[in-house]
Order: sequence, then structure tokens, then C-alpha cells
Amino acid sequence: MSGQYHRPHRWAWWTERPGYMRFMIRELTSVFMAGYLVVFVMTLARLGAGEAAFGEWIAAMGSPGWMAAHVVALAAAVWHAVTFFGAVPQAMPVFLGEKRLSGPVSQIVMGYGPWLTVSAVIVWWVLR
Amino acid sequence: MSENATITLELFRYHPETDSEPRYQSYEVPYDEDWVVLDAINWIKDHVDGTVTHRWSCRMGVCGSCGMMVNGEPKLTCAAFLKDYYPRPVRVDPLVNFPVERDLVVSMDGFMDKLEAVKPYIIRDDVNDTSQGEYRQTPAELARYKQFSMCINCMLCYAACPVVGHEEEFLGPAALALGHRYNKDSRDQGQSERLEVMLSSEAMWGCTFVGECTVVCPKHVDPAGAIQQAKAVGAQEFFKRFVMPKGAGS
Repeated sequence: MSGQYHRPHRWAWWTERPGYMRFMIRELTSVFMAGYLVVFVMTLARLGAGEAAFGEWIAAMGSPGWMAAHVVALAAAVWHAVTFFGAVPQAMPVFLGEKRLSGPVSQIVMGYGPWLTVSAVIVWWVLR
Repeated sequence: MSENATITLELFRYHPETDSEPRYQSYEVPYDEDWVVLDAINWIKDHVDGTVTHRWSCRMGVCGSCGMMVNGEPKLTCAAFLKDYYPRPVRVDPLVNFPVERDLVVSMDGFMDKLEAVKPYIIRDDVNDTSQGEYRQTPAELARYKQFSMCINCMLCYAACPVVGHEEEFLGPAALALGHRYNKDSRDQGQSERLEVMLSSEAMWGCTFVGECTVVCPKHVDPAGAIQQAKAVGAQEFFKRFVMPKGAGS
């Protein structure tokens, strides 16, 4: 008999812990965001093709299938942002002397605060 | 609960001189709600089967020797109470992502090599004689790395990390956290030496921030956080070297 025993690779490792599953969901949200970017670039291309082409494109985007796709992409983007801000206290700790800013405060100061501010400015700019 | 209550332990067994494949062996152990899984394994070894092989030492979460998979979860067996599993059986495996030496004992060779690779000690350009006094440090400077210095090398984080199991070059959570601990130490001047190792190929960049290393760490070291911080330092260093190929790292 030979010495050490090497256990086989676990190809379904991501099913073994809820944390692994959350990781996979987080990574999968990127696929939906990439898909949305492709649609967005196509929208810009149709805009460049003239008013009639852009009008047709926008009308097509109003179909139930495209609306559902946009809702899914938005949900994926929001969830990705939430996980991203969740990682902020670990990746970018803020110290005030010896004290480290708590996780929730870090998330608000460096994540949700700026996000909501920028979103509010954009909404104001679009609706003014 | 009766005084004669028992709990079943299913232990992973592998003896390289006789076994080509591992197997599980079940033991009935007296149930005591003050007992931890390590107590039960010790009872088996002392009273039932002296051939069971496992590592342990301090029995109080300090030495980091008794890490094993308890019902699939990386745990210090000295901190895993039977009452949290009773009356269900408890299955104990050696830590995953490591080769098995014998029964519940894994080989630490690869882990030790990775720890050594990050030069886990203070590196100075100038080494002062002790007569010149200590290298002083403020409490604020200590706070920058203290959390990362609490690691007891129990290797639970390696068992929780899927990248460790799939990428040989990846240095792994504990080693990277230790490297970052010294890079953040105000007395140290060896960051560029360590980054030579940490920035190479998949050594650090292999981390995809699954984050389970931090979840299982019994000492709240947060290796996942340390690695993300080290990545930020590494990215800055990469651009410095790109812009100033000869002057970076000084």
C-alpha cells in the first residue's frame, strides 16, 4: 500500500455549504449584468441608426419578455451591489486611531450613502 | 435522558499499510453533555480501539491541532460539543483539501511550505543591536494588524476554501493573512519581498472571495478580509512597477 490517501476532487463543492451557494449566486449575477450591458450597447447602436430605428427598438423593449429580462437584470444588479457593499468593511477597514469603524457604519459611509446620493442626483437630473 | 445514553461516532479510518481505500467505523460512546467531540474520540482510543489515530494537544482552542470535519463542517473538535449534535450520529473526517496520513491525521507539509513562503517574520533593512532598544509601536499601529496575528494555524480555513482544493499554486487563507499581518506591521520593511511571492500567478489572485475561511475561523482572524486588503496593496504595487519599473517597492 502507498502512503497518503488523496480524496477525489469534489466537482459539486458548491452544493456543500450555504455559503458556497451564496458565492455562486453572487457570481452568477454578473452574467445578467453582462447581458444587460450588451442590450444597452445595442440600444446605443440603434440610437445612432436614426430616430425610426430607435423608436422601433424602444417599442420592442416594451414587450413582456424584455420587461421581464430587465426586471431580472435589475434584481441581479441590486443583489450584486448589496453583496459588494457587504464586503466593504472587510476589504477596506477604516480606523479612527485604535478603533475600527463597525461593519454597518462602514457600509453606510462607504457604500449605501454614496450609492443613494448618486442615485438621487441621477433621478433628479432625469426628472427635472 | 437516561444515565446510560450514548451517541454514535462514525470515524473515517485509513491505515496506509493495510487499506487501499478509506472506510467509516461506528462507535457507541457514552453521552455527556459536557463532552466535546475530542473527548469522545479520546474515549474511543482509550477504551475501545487504540488504533484510532488523531492529533490533539491543548484541549482549549489554543494549539490548533484538533481540527477535523465534524458532520462536514471544519471544526476544532475541542470546541464542538456533543450536545449540539445529540441524538444524531456524529461523523468525523480528516480536514478536506489535505492528503490523509492515517485515520483523522492529515499531512501538513504543503501548508507549512506555504506559510514559510510568505516570510512570516519581521524583515528589517537595518538590524539594530538590542542595546539600542526596541522597535517601538503605538497602539494604533498595533491595531492595524493585531486581528491577523491571532491565527493558530488550525487549517480550518484551508478545509473551508474551495480554491485550496482546486488550485495548487494558491497560498491559501492562513498564509496570505499572515503575510498581510507582517506587511501591515509598522516595524517591518519586508513588504516588497513578500509581494514577490504573493503577487505571482495564482498565489493570491486565485482567491475569489468565497469568504467561508472567515466564517469557520475559530479565532476571528478574517483571512478573507486580509486577502482582499492584500490584493489592494498588490494592485497598487503592480501599477507602481508598471509606471516606475526600477523604483517600485522602495
